[in-house]
Amino acid sequence: MNLLEVLVIPKDDAVAFTFFTGYMAMLAASIFFFFERGRVDDKWKLSMLISGLITFIAAFHYYYMRDYYLATGENPTSLRYIDWTLTVPLMCVEFYLLTKAAGAKMGLLWKLIIASVWMLVAGYIGEAFNPGGADAAGHSVLWGVLSTLGYIYILYTAWFGEVAKLAEASDNPVVKRGVRTLAWFVLVGWAIYPIGYMCMDGGWLNTAFGWGSSNVDLFYNIADAINKIGFGLVVYNIAISSSKSVKTA
Amino acid sequence: MTREIFIFIACLLLLLPVVFYAGDISTSHQLVICIPFILMLGIPHGAIDNVLYLRGKEIKNSRFIAVYLVFVFLNVALWLFVPNIAYLLFLFLSAYHFGQSQFSHYFSEQLTGYKILYLLWGVAILSALVYFNITEIQQIISQESDFAVLAKSHHLKTVLAVFLVASSATLVLLAVLSFNKRISVSALLMEYIVFALVLISFYLMPLIIGFTLYFIILHSLKVLREEYKFLIGESEVKSVFTFVKLVAPFTLFSFAGIAFLFALIYFDLLNLSYGYCLLIIISSITLPHVFVMNKFYNYFISAKYRD
Repeated sequence: MNLLEVLVIPKDDAVAFTFFTGYMAMLAASIFFFFERGRVDDKWKLSMLISGLITFIAAFHYYYMRDYYLATGENPTSLRYIDWTLTVPLMCVEFYLLTKAAGAKMGLLWKLIIASVWMLVAGYIGEAFNPGGADAAGHSVLWGVLSTLGYIYILYTAWFGEVAKLAEASDNPVVKRGVRTLAWFVLVGWAIYPIGYMCMDGGWLNTAFGWGSSNVDLFYNIADAINKIGFGLVVYNIAISSSKSVKTA
Repeated sequence: MTREIFIFIACLLLLLPVVFYAGDISTSHQLVICIPFILMLGIPHGAIDNVLYLRGKEIKNSRFIAVYLVFVFLNVALWLFVPNIAYLLFLFLSAYHFGQSQFSHYFSEQLTGYKILYLLWGVAILSALVYFNITEIQQIISQESDFAVLAKSHHLKTVLAVFLVASSATLVLLAVLSFNKRISVSALLMEYIVFALVLISFYLMPLIIGFTLYFIILHSLKVLREEYKFLIGESEVKSVFTFVKLVAPFTLFSFAGIAFLFALIYFDLLNLSYGYCLLIIISSITLPHVFVMNKFYNYFISAKYRD
């Protein structure tokens, strides 16, 4: 590793800029979550650890992605999907942990994990393995639609399904509010991913609006920062608000 | 988020790429795709107007139907003599009706401010539909001679001005209602998202498919569910099956009426194009339906039936 190598960020390269800020923001968030973990009640410690892990894993991947992007100018698709394959199921674990006290079963956890892995694997096939190249939109549309089914399942579960019902049944108003906020993250924050997907090289949204494919990484970087750090902060807020030790301190 | 909004978002995410990938879809193909959905959900949502209107009233069903038909015939006469006025009246009433159903789950009373919001929201989305699909509309107008009389109702700059004024006013009014605690901040955000998604779907999808997606899911499905919940609450129906049985007669009657008029056109007994005839039919059943639904929302939808 050459620590003295100077990486030049072009002034007008928003993608490179967001790779750097994304990396630092994720790392800072991880440190914050790991340190704050000690201040919350025992029952919230695992949730806080998961929040820290999500941003830490992302920070680690962003470290590589920013270098990859600067060195090659290409989208670090594989690295990105490796990151998501680890972090998105962990976000689903957060839903399970938050509703566990209200009776969430392991089945819910597995259903969410399977839906998220389905969403990511289909997305990866659609984005990384297009046999017809950028001009063949059929492949990306097919796999995009399949991937969207996973997203719709998670969205349904968070707003109307098991997670929503369990949160409603919970006697903790902080959990109710927190789960609803996370559902908003899934609706608005996670929706940036399919938009990014539709903006890939040859993607139909680029054609519709006349955008360039560099928007993919811009959308993904913004989405990652909002969702991963935001998700963690919501969990932190629930944990800190519900912790007796903090209230009496 | 209502279930209809969820279904709308899901359908939009799944359909947008497919529709875009399919490329140019001709008007006739769009009709073939959309008409089954309009017949299965669009027509039924107005097929129990008599049941809704007559609840608690001492009016006979036959009298209600007679008045209903008078409205229908008056509207047909309007179309024959002053089609532009009939068309604008249709759009105006539809706009109000669409807005009223869009916000029905928020308000239990009908204040003037809410009514203005209904109208503005409806005008905004209908003018957006026309503005974003003006090329397709002009193509239909040029292909079917019947539609030529409506050409001057689609002056592009006027439509754009109406869209900009109505949409800006809608967004501001929603923000004011939220500020005055009439709707929650999350409801405000949700309505902004839905408004944006409806506009995006109108912009990216072909005219008829885009409108059908909105009309079927956000409007018809929602109204049907509200009617069902209301009638269940009033012990008028006991299950989805009895609700379908209640809706079926007038739905089938409407199908028969449409088929009869189309047969007249087919055998050259009625000198109209199918599209223009369909527009007159839809407008004619919309006119009394809007008044009935206005009464329904005014007097019958009380808080206990809402989400």
